[in-house]
Amino acid sequence: MSDNDSTSSNLNCKLGMKSILPIFRCLNSLERNVEKCKIFTRSDKCKVVIEFFCRHGIRRTHNVCFQESQPLQVIFEKSMCSNTLVIQPRVLAEAIVLFTSSQEEVTLAVTPLSVCLKSSSDEPVDLTSSVYSEMFVGPDEFDFFQIGVDSEITFCFKELKGILTFSEATHAPIAIHFDFPGKPMALSIDDMLLEANFILATLADEPSRASSPQSLCLSQKQKRSEPLSSNSEAGKNVTSKAPECILRKVAPKRLYPKETLTDVSALENCGSPIMKRANGDRSEVSESSVSDTEEVPGSPYLRKFSCMFFGAVSSDQQERFNHPFDSLATASDSEEDMNDGSFSTF
Amino acid sequence: MPHWAPVNLPAAFLLHSITPGVSNMIAKLAKTCTLRISPDKLNFILSDKVANGGVSMWCELEQENFFSEFQMEGVSAENNEIYLELTSENLSRALKTAQNARALKIKLTNKHFPCLTVSIELLSVSNSSRVVTHDIPIRVIPRKLWKDLQEPTVPDADVSIYLPVLKTMKSIVEKMKNISNHLIIEANLNGELNLKIETELVCVTTHFKDLGNPPSASEDASQARNPEQMAEVRIDIRRLLQFLAGQQVNPTKAVCNIMSNKIVHFDLLHEDVSLQYFIPAFS
Repeated sequence: MSDNDSTSSNLNCKLGMKSILPIFRCLNSLERNVEKCKIFTRSDKCKVVIEFFCRHGIRRTHNVCFQESQPLQVIFEKSMCSNTLVIQPRVLAEAIVLFTSSQEEVTLAVTPLSVCLKSSSDEPVDLTSSVYSEMFVGPDEFDFFQIGVDSEITFCFKELKGILTFSEATHAPIAIHFDFPGKPMALSIDDMLLEANFILATLADEPSRASSPQSLCLSQKQKRSEPLSSNSEAGKNVTSKAPECILRKVAPKRLYPKETLTDVSALENCGSPIMKRANGDRSEVSESSVSDTEEVPGSPYLRKFSCMFFGAVSSDQQERFNHPFDSLATASDSEEDMNDGSFSTF
Repeated sequence: MPHWAPVNLPAAFLLHSITPGVSNMIAKLAKTCTLRISPDKLNFILSDKVANGGVSMWCELEQENFFSEFQMEGVSAENNEIYLELTSENLSRALKTAQNARALKIKLTNKHFPCLTVSIELLSVSNSSRVVTHDIPIRVIPRKLWKDLQEPTVPDADVSIYLPVLKTMKSIVEKMKNISNHLIIEANLNGELNLKIETELVCVTTHFKDLGNPPSASEDASQARNPEQMAEVRIDIRRLLQFLAGQQVNPTKAVCNIMSNKIVHFDLLHEDVSLQYFIPAFS
């Protein structure tokens, strides 16, 4: 995407999926009719212009408005992971057919001798429990198999399905990099044309080890909406990464600013009970802000306390006091964000 | 607290050729059903309850047609049977992965909770073996409730008739459902069957002719009856539609027995599987 404005070399912006998808929807007709496609930006009008030069001299122009945004920089060194698996997407696709779509999470358990994909839900406790399924895949089915540490990681099933759909289009193998539970995992696709890295959060082992409020949410077996189950733990213990890799955020609707999260976790580890309660409440608050129907449990003064606490930690973000929910979202894909086109960076 | 069956929770049966079709059909007909295991048969049972709208179902498979190895041990020697309750869709989903299985094993297990464990050995694309296990939660039904789960006795029908192609019936009933909640099914001994709906504004009837009637059990009854006279039952159209939706393939044999104003009984045979479905008159 070349920028007409010659001063900036990189334009970070976001476009609505609903705007972009219909333009490229009918591949067949595009292939038949379009001779050339030109994409450029007009930053003076905050628009991305997509021009199709079609047969018979027809030119079709689409103007799509964009919003400036700072992409989340997740810093994750996948080469430093103890475990790496490379597998054809087809094999994984066969595996995920086993799991019902109602399952939110799936567990990958590895030893140097075997790989097992299984439902992460507990063993059945009554007739209405979901089926517990597991599938063993032999090491010989992988293009590359390196297990440094036995591990069992649990992550969001829906995201895995999405990634698989994406990778099936590219026909390139998927590389899975991971370590121990709680640490993020990466799924990478490296093709001639593109490199995609999906960083997913994984469920930490026990609640006491959880070092972010979202993990507390996860370990409570409440009904939770998908965005929370893929959390920004990724932002937690990471180092700098080159910005040119295509990064797909795992779309939590509310993301905590990176350094605030770190600070919070540091404080939490002190074991202050008030802190924990505030965290617990904050997670409740988040949950209610995501799911429309739930009422926020806990009294309003506790909510205010957690927001104030948040504000105090990152003192340069005083303006967030006024919008409690906004303080929880710095870079968000949510449409329900109060949208004035400018988000402060963190 | 559910009542568990005695300690010798019965054991394995091995299956080499399973038709997931049966479990798919059951999953469409009943959300929860009872599986009865006896030395020579398997039954899927839905007993008539208010929750089902009074509908009941009895599906029977001869085990020797499906299993290469079958071992079971019932509750006791005199009661050599097992009754389990399960969510039908769980079983059909589990068996769906078995479609190209090299081997399939179904066992009753009791880890944290009684389960039907389905173990499937698959041959993957790369020719290596893959083992898949599904633990389907079940409830063992205590012996004192078995009496409600016996094969329904079929009273003598006023009219027995062979059904038309079920897909055709289904598409007609689907359209009728938009107009009325109730449907009248009527037939006579002349091979004629009608599906009727009546509302204030409109009456719609679909006529099927030349369907044929199975030979009657009792000669006297059939001779006494006027072949033109219709026997009818007024039923909830959604129950009929649910039944028809479960039939993906046209059965080998399909008979409809009507007991005037009481109940309609569908008796189907799909190759080796027999299915009986009862829809009571709408009261």
